[in-house]
Amino acid sequence: MRRSGYEYDVVVVGAGIGGLVCGTYLAKQGMKVLVLEQHFKPGGYCTSFRRGPFHFDAAAHSFGSYREDGNMRYVMRELGLEGKCNIKKYDPCDRIILPDGEVSFYAEVDRTVDEICTLFPDEHTGIKALFGFLINSKPVESAALRRVTLLELFNRYFVNKKVETLFALPVLGNGALPPSLISAFTGTKILREFILDGGYYPDGSMQHLPDTLIRHLKQYGGEVSFRSLVRRIMVKDGKVWGVRLDSKDVITTRYVVWNADVRQLFLHVLPRKWLKRETVERVKSLKPSLSTFILYLGIGEPPPALPEPGTNIWFLPYYDLERAYRYACSGEINRVEGFMVRISPDKKTILAFVNAPYKTPAYWRQNKERLMNDFIDRIDRNVIPGLKNHILHKEAATPFTLYRYTLNHRGAAYGWASTPSQLFTPEVRQRGPVDGLYLTGHWTAQTQGIPGVAYMGLDTARMILKRENRKL
Amino acid sequence: MKDVVREIVSIVADVAGLDEEEVTLDARLVDDLDIDSVKAIEIAVAVEKRFGVRVKDEDLPNLTTVGDIINLTETLVRELEDEKVGV
Repeated sequence: MRRSGYEYDVVVVGAGIGGLVCGTYLAKQGMKVLVLEQHFKPGGYCTSFRRGPFHFDAAAHSFGSYREDGNMRYVMRELGLEGKCNIKKYDPCDRIILPDGEVSFYAEVDRTVDEICTLFPDEHTGIKALFGFLINSKPVESAALRRVTLLELFNRYFVNKKVETLFALPVLGNGALPPSLISAFTGTKILREFILDGGYYPDGSMQHLPDTLIRHLKQYGGEVSFRSLVRRIMVKDGKVWGVRLDSKDVITTRYVVWNADVRQLFLHVLPRKWLKRETVERVKSLKPSLSTFILYLGIGEPPPALPEPGTNIWFLPYYDLERAYRYACSGEINRVEGFMVRISPDKKTILAFVNAPYKTPAYWRQNKERLMNDFIDRIDRNVIPGLKNHILHKEAATPFTLYRYTLNHRGAAYGWASTPSQLFTPEVRQRGPVDGLYLTGHWTAQTQGIPGVAYMGLDTARMILKRENRKL
Repeated sequence: MKDVVREIVSIVADVAGLDEEEVTLDARLVDDLDIDSVKAIEIAVAVEKRFGVRVKDEDLPNLTTVGDIINLTETLVRELEDEKVGV
């Protein structure tokens, strides 16, 4: 399919899951694909690292939507990768610990509903109705949620604010917004795809997912180049013809798929003459999601009260999520007191995180050690008694670390903040402002999480193939 | 209302990743253009932005062809103009 005069049919910028899915699918269909990544390994936020005997997942630590008709399963099947990666579901996938008690989200939904109804008996009608909506609603019904916040939706189901917190706590963790701000569209998607159908983990580490994709990309003749930062997209007569790297090398291509920070694309990488001023202004005005502060612990002999491995445990010592969010935004993450903690399936490591703002690199340099120790104290006190005496290795990633490895604007964990007003922003949809340029990944207008970006990567690949078929 | 037709075709083409010539008025959104529910909302939001109208959520499931979107938009634009002149 390669056209003479161009080195590649498609250059994908960013080897996160969205870019890898897109590139692998296009390579499988016979296009000549090059994936460029500024970091030295693939995965984006879906990556792992090693410290001595410990293997840590860096950010993403499980994924959802892998049920028989889930989006992630669908993507893997379309790529011919179903069964190529040994994926296990941990059950329960999530456990919520609140002042009045705790609830687990099991694969068996009725069991979860029973637990929640036992804790909040007066709300059983609303609880069952919400589950009914999450499980049975047709995709188009979510259209009705595009203007409302999750809080407005919850108010249709619940009287007791405590029930709302139960559902909204993992949404805050996975979406970085409290119920009063997050769109009900995104909030219900997180509950349906990440919590009710969550807890999947590739055997060994999260790194297996991007590694498997890279292996297949190469089998189909695709190439990947690390430590390759794209500085410029070359455009002539309104059409993409290449990219220029940090090294000044120019690579010619007919299509560019941008699977990286869209702010960089519109403000620096794409020549301004091809952009409308309103587009630039709109992109400048969009707010990114919060970042995260992530704690990594390597443990020796496990503490006796170690919780079940593979389960995301959410803890909050009060019910006021708005307050938790305010503290998170201000950088007073030691005052949030809530967090998520997860024991790795091999029981050797622990990952815990809180939402956090970007602040400045200096702020995190000065406060990292203190916040890390405070965080360990809180986990020891509230979830894993005795943990402190079993730690052999500790380190943390700050929002600046997230920025450094991914170049996501302000270390944003989930692309744009998913408020109703920012959802479906036309300026950041998949088809870019010049011919041959496509956007994919969590910086487009309506997706996040591994299943979200994987599905969109596939969808973007299909847009390009449709265009190819027309030309032939 | 010629403007509405051109604009809708352009919006649908953009969201679906197609050329405008491929977006015919009788093209079915789901079967011919691969418009899923997310893309349907993207189109609704783009229409609202372009014409300053408000698409009712309950109208979305009833839109099956490009022509349906054009008819709905024309109705909404007319209502808006009527409102402005105080009819």
